Amino acid sequence: MATQDSLKPVENALRYSRPDSFYDEVYSPEGKVREHWRYLLEGLTAMGTEGLSDRQRKALRILRDDGATYNIAGEADTSRTWGLDPIPLLIDSEEWSRIETGLVERAELFDLILKDLYGPRELIRHRIIPPELLYSHHGFLRACQGVRIPGDKQLILHGVDMVRNCDGQMTVIGDRTQAPSGAGYALENRTVMSRVLPSLFRDSQVHRLSLFFQAMRRKMASLSPNGDSPRVVILTPGAYSETYFEHTYLANYLGYSLVQGGDLTVRNGYVWMKSLDGLHRVDIILRRVDDTWCDPVELRSDSHLGVAGLLEVARAGNVVIANPLGSGVLENPALHKFLPEIAHFFLGHELALPSAKTWWMGDPEDRSHVLANLNKLIIKPTARRAGEQSVYCQTLNPAQLEKLKQQICAAPLHYIAQEANLPGSSPSWQHNELLPRPTVLRGFAVADQSAYSIMPGGLTRVASSCDQWIVSNQLGATSKDTWVLASEPQRRVSFIEERPPVFVEDQTSDLPSRVVENLFWLGRYSERAEAGMRLLRTVFIQLNSTGVLPENVRDLLLKAVTQVTTTYPGFNGPSGASLAKPEDELLSVILDSRRSGSITANLRAMLNCTEETKEMLSADTHRVINDLRDALSQLPAQLRNGLTAAPEEALDPLVTTLLALSGLTQESMIRGFGWRFLEMGRRLERTLQSTALLRALLVPVLEDSEQEQVVETVLLTSEVLITYRRRYRTRPLLDQGLTLIMLDKTNPRSLHYQIDLLRQHIEQLQSRERSPVLTEEHRSILEALTLVQLTRPAELAEAADSGIREIMDERLARIQTLLCTAANAVSDRYFDHRSGPQQLVQSSWSEEP
Amino acid sequence: MIYRIRHLTKYEYANPVSLCYNRAHLLPRDTQRQQCLSTQIRITPTPVYSVRREDFYANLYYYFSIQEPHSSLQIDVTSQIKIIQPTLNFDLDLGNSCARALELTRSAVDEETLLAREFCLDSPMIRATDVIREYAAPSFSEDRPLLSAVRELTTRIYTDFKYDPGFSNVATPLHAVLEHRRGVCQDFAHLAIACLRSLGFAARYVSGYLETLPPPGQQKLIGSDASHAWFAVYSPGEGWFEFDPTNDNMPAEQHITTAIGRDYGDVTPLRGVIFDGGGSQKLSVSVDVAALPDT
Repeated sequence: MATQDSLKPVENALRYSRPDSFYDEVYSPEGKVREHWRYLLEGLTAMGTEGLSDRQRKALRILRDDGATYNIAGEADTSRTWGLDPIPLLIDSEEWSRIETGLVERAELFDLILKDLYGPRELIRHRIIPPELLYSHHGFLRACQGVRIPGDKQLILHGVDMVRNCDGQMTVIGDRTQAPSGAGYALENRTVMSRVLPSLFRDSQVHRLSLFFQAMRRKMASLSPNGDSPRVVILTPGAYSETYFEHTYLANYLGYSLVQGGDLTVRNGYVWMKSLDGLHRVDIILRRVDDTWCDPVELRSDSHLGVAGLLEVARAGNVVIANPLGSGVLENPALHKFLPEIAHFFLGHELALPSAKTWWMGDPEDRSHVLANLNKLIIKPTARRAGEQSVYCQTLNPAQLEKLKQQICAAPLHYIAQEANLPGSSPSWQHNELLPRPTVLRGFAVADQSAYSIMPGGLTRVASSCDQWIVSNQLGATSKDTWVLASEPQRRVSFIEERPPVFVEDQTSDLPSRVVENLFWLGRYSERAEAGMRLLRTVFIQLNSTGVLPENVRDLLLKAVTQVTTTYPGFNGPSGASLAKPEDELLSVILDSRRSGSITANLRAMLNCTEETKEMLSADTHRVINDLRDALSQLPAQLRNGLTAAPEEALDPLVTTLLALSGLTQESMIRGFGWRFLEMGRRLERTLQSTALLRALLVPVLEDSEQEQVVETVLLTSEVLITYRRRYRTRPLLDQGLTLIMLDKTNPRSLHYQIDLLRQHIEQLQSRERSPVLTEEHRSILEALTLVQLTRPAELAEAADSGIREIMDERLARIQTLLCTAANAVSDRYFDHRSGPQQLVQSSWSEEP
Repeated sequence: MIYRIRHLTKYEYANPVSLCYNRAHLLPRDTQRQQCLSTQIRITPTPVYSVRREDFYANLYYYFSIQEPHSSLQIDVTSQIKIIQPTLNFDLDLGNSCARALELTRSAVDEETLLAREFCLDSPMIRATDVIREYAAPSFSEDRPLLSAVRELTTRIYTDFKYDPGFSNVATPLHAVLEHRRGVCQDFAHLAIACLRSLGFAARYVSGYLETLPPPGQQKLIGSDASHAWFAVYSPGEGWFEFDPTNDNMPAEQHITTAIGRDYGDVTPLRGVIFDGGGSQKLSVSVDVAALPDT
């Protein structure tokens, strides 16, 4: 308890000043600090500005290391680190119990509405809602009529956005009922906060979130249509979805497989997940894909995010989708207008938690009122669609206002107006100050045995400025942890303790083959990028070396850059880049992301693979990938002045980071299927790159001194120049060089070493095949390995009359072909190559009289 | 009168399709005018999953998926339909006036009217626009009986528009039909529905068949009948009434209903997705409507 002495500093805590015009969480209207904020404010005051900013930085770092991002729609390729304000929102237990009751009641009511709208539609028959409200809504999916899931509750998850109005009354401004996002972010916020403010958190007696997730898991299991130990998956739209981080996070936390539409297939009336060892039945889908995108057969036919045939499986009761398809109909904010009557109809009393006053443009009276009072209102479309957002009319100029009016009058059924209350504020740490910011709390309900369980807390978001009436992540809002304060200390409930340990022997079946394929390509792209950079570094050193670089050696090196990176025509064509002035072309090979084979393109492709496999990667790996992303984004600036001063150094951090990544997979990754394919990708690509390098540089016959220069380049690029010097103590000679690079079993970059590793991986896979007949990839690798083993360097070094080393060229070409055959065979055998769904076109359907 | 209808649909794909999921609205439903005595559906190759279901509008549909590679898909439906109310026993000049019908559509509280209001709204393939309202309005003076006005609209569409199967396909938008004054039965049904909805009336799409009679003295050709489409309008308190703008008449004995919906999209004979293959595909449809001797 605060004593009289300690009162004073708290009142001025970090000079937080109360906003005059609206409700504030900390200060009562009389200007007194509310009791439940005192302890935290004291702690923060003691921490001081420096301390708090330091915690904020620390929080950001943890979030970044966790890979916590939020992707901004419309900004492809960019993901922002999830923003977290180090000041939590505090809610005392008495207040919370009111909110909790309201949320339970609302979820129950929405469940009843959902069942009615896809069932008897009593609400229309009894004229509680106008038919147009339902029938014009894009979220009402007629194909979902009568589809039921096990148990009484049809609405499994419910997200509710609330703000304080000026009287401090919590008021609902929106519902999320298709695939409510935010629960995972709330959990991540909590994890971070308990690390950056450990003692304040511990002593504040904050309600724990894990019970909510336990309830969620329990509910999911209870929904199984196909008996015990159901397989639950989380269906994500993919790495570019706004909340992809959360999907990966929840998948890991709840222990469910993360899948995309393409990972699932409908066969024999059931849903199956495609994994390396075949199809595995899926019983429950926790979906993060919006309703209409889920099934191209019966819903949006142009969707590639869904699963063809999914809705019929749900209708037949062979899979459960949570929330059920069609639940988007509840997101219609026009329902808010009718909620009091609906509540009376179903429950016999009013809702404890009111909604913001709402007008529906489909009602002529409402419409004329709204058009006359636009200034004070927020206009929202009845269904969320891309490119349409809530608008606060006061921020519009007359022309925009006129346009909005026309838009409303053209489709009045599809718009609502909501009373604009500036949301109540809470203190937010921005620009090293504690500032009042409009605040929205998203609460979460999950259907439990008989009633709904409410997450004790939620996802709080605060606007970036004090006059933002609409708080959304898309508009730059940041988030807060929400501390519901218990009146007594909390029992610690860990989520994991709840279930007995189950040993899953073969995790392959939990991994969609898409993930494995991406790991395979992750290996390939990172080796490809590394090999390109190693060669470029050597070329830069040679080009800028003090000694004389003969013209034909220079040409050979530059052409090798084109050949190894396959950025044709490059230096190879007759009309190709200038060999005398190679700078522009070399920069393009590094920086041009649109050029297939460039360093940037390979690294981007590799980063995309990491996104697709995010849930497989450890926190350390995320950190390394962040470094890689940073280094890549700094590359253009580093090479701003062209290739004048030690350009090879610009590539060093990238090479080092790639090595760190490869070290992590060696040291920390479980030796399962994922690891094996990642490794196979690496070995395949490294062999292919080495072979390409040898062909490009060593096949042409040069005079002795030039030859030595080129052999040295090869040795340097292959990281064995020092070994060579130590071992042979002589000039770089072709015979010895070939021995070291191709045959040496102790050189981890030699062809022999790499292909032999590949053989071991493929033999492991072969052991899963029932037939004693070798697979194609196995045969190819054995042949390649034998070819390498049979190599006599002197024979390869022989010059033919044509001026090239024909035997070497032929031998290396054969090895390349064999490896490509193996790569394609692996890909054909294990990965899915089905083309996407196409519409059955009926352009000439004869519907004639 | 009993009809035997055979509706044969065949797809030929240039490349084999490995997997398909389809929803077929090819099974005739019961209506006030007709009773479906039996329907058989035969699909080749044999579907691994198939089920007969009722949709949102109480139409029947057949859902099936095929998992074996196939270069052709054949759907053969044979139905027997009994027409129970062959003659029209109402007078177009009686009943609700246009103004009254409109007023009741908005205010009546009986269930049928409340549910019919769904069909006043735009639907995916039908948008009521000002141009369409201007075209429709002259027939609908306030005092005129609604059905007589709709009958006139039907005739106007029949007269103003040229039947031209080469002009449109399922994707042709309504404004193009209106602009060029040509189309097929589906377009004319859509147009009439749009006209009625633009004025505030409830109207819905009806798909089905029409028995065609051979010219006198000639043998009827098998497969010469076709799927057909027309529309129905709702008059509060009086029910739904059907009109056929393609033939300028009111469906009676020769019109057999398959399904009803907001527009073609709700009752598409076959919709679905295929995987792999496909490429250029050839579709052939043959419909044969035969009147059976009464037993």
